[in-house]
Amino acid sequence: MNFPTILASHGAFGLNLNPFETNIINLAIVIFALYKFLPNFLGGILERRRAAILTELTDAETRLAAASESLAQAQQGLAEAQKKAEQIRADGKARAQAIRLENEKRTIEEMARLKQGSAADLQSEAARVTNQLRREAARLAIEKALASLPGKLDADGQAQLLNQSIQNLGNA
Amino acid sequence: MVPLPLALPFAELEVGQHLYWQLGNLKIHGQVFLSSWVVIGALLALVVVGTRKLERDPRGVQNLLEFLWDYIRDMAREQIGEKAYRDWLPFIGTLFLFIFVSNWGGALVPWKLIHLPSGELGAPTADINTTVALALLVSLAYFYAGLSRKGFRYFEYYVEPTPIMVPFKIVEDFTKPLSLSFRLFGNILADELVVAVLAFLVPLVVPLPAMFLGLFTSAIQALIFATLAAYYIGEAVHESHH
Repeated sequence: MNFPTILASHGAFGLNLNPFETNIINLAIVIFALYKFLPNFLGGILERRRAAILTELTDAETRLAAASESLAQAQQGLAEAQKKAEQIRADGKARAQAIRLENEKRTIEEMARLKQGSAADLQSEAARVTNQLRREAARLAIEKALASLPGKLDADGQAQLLNQSIQNLGNA
Repeated sequence: MVPLPLALPFAELEVGQHLYWQLGNLKIHGQVFLSSWVVIGALLALVVVGTRKLERDPRGVQNLLEFLWDYIRDMAREQIGEKAYRDWLPFIGTLFLFIFVSNWGGALVPWKLIHLPSGELGAPTADINTTVALALLVSLAYFYAGLSRKGFRYFEYYVEPTPIMVPFKIVEDFTKPLSLSFRLFGNILADELVVAVLAFLVPLVVPLPAMFLGLFTSAIQALIFATLAAYYIGEAVHESHH
């Protein structure tokens, strides 16, 4: 056998350091060339990718900040609006209460007035009717008395009546 | 071992030599396992290092991983479609990263410094067993994707657009893994062989163009494999609108 196979003893694992047999020189050149050019090429791509990602991240962050700011603003506005709404509701309630009370009071007064008026009406009517009845009764009595008077009245009776009347006056 | 008739004192070239391990009745190619473990370990280490401390400002390895993830996601989404791609993103991503790192590792790591009793270390994807396993996984994946999403309506795909297509579609189910595995295996093995033969004939400088071309094709092959896998899955889950 020739030189390389002496070094590479058969039948066992080992190292083969023959530079020609292992093609190590060419491999070294290839690896060196790759080492020289690949990082430039691949590194450029990777760096661009990283830059793009970072820009996107910053963009997203600014958008997030802007969005949270407007959210906070909107929340503040919402709180204000709620407060306002609460106030308006309270005002409304108070006004409704006041109006209701007023109405009740007015109604009660009105009812009292009506009652009073009707009672007064009734009383005056009753007085009027009583008066009329009394007058009528008096008129009838006088008529009757005038009718029966000429028959019954003689001198004795007149004197007696006079006496009685005088006595009555004396008693009174 | 089949040494070429040329007895130059530079290097020797061997094909079809493997470091056999006996596992039950199976003879497995140990060198493929060793280099696969290295590739898997490297990927895991990269991912663990890159995701250990995630920050909002992506730097270094995290940025690289995110970039890869974006790339794979775009690929999967384009091929599989918006609805189903999330389920298959890990699978497609694993295929792509494993094949890519295998190919580049095979081309860049000085494996031959380590001498094995038999065979030699290299890209795991330069072994037909690896690529067939990956391709069969893709087959399983697209069958599972179609059946789980559409049930037995999946087989409508075989009669679309016309029932005349049935034999072709059935043949396709066999040719898909075949073409996937042989394309990857052939490209990577051919690349390794070209570099080895050139290095065997002219040790310096002359293999360099082939090596750079190999890096290029390796990347392309990883992309092709992952894209086709995603495309097949997308085809299986695609809802045709009548």
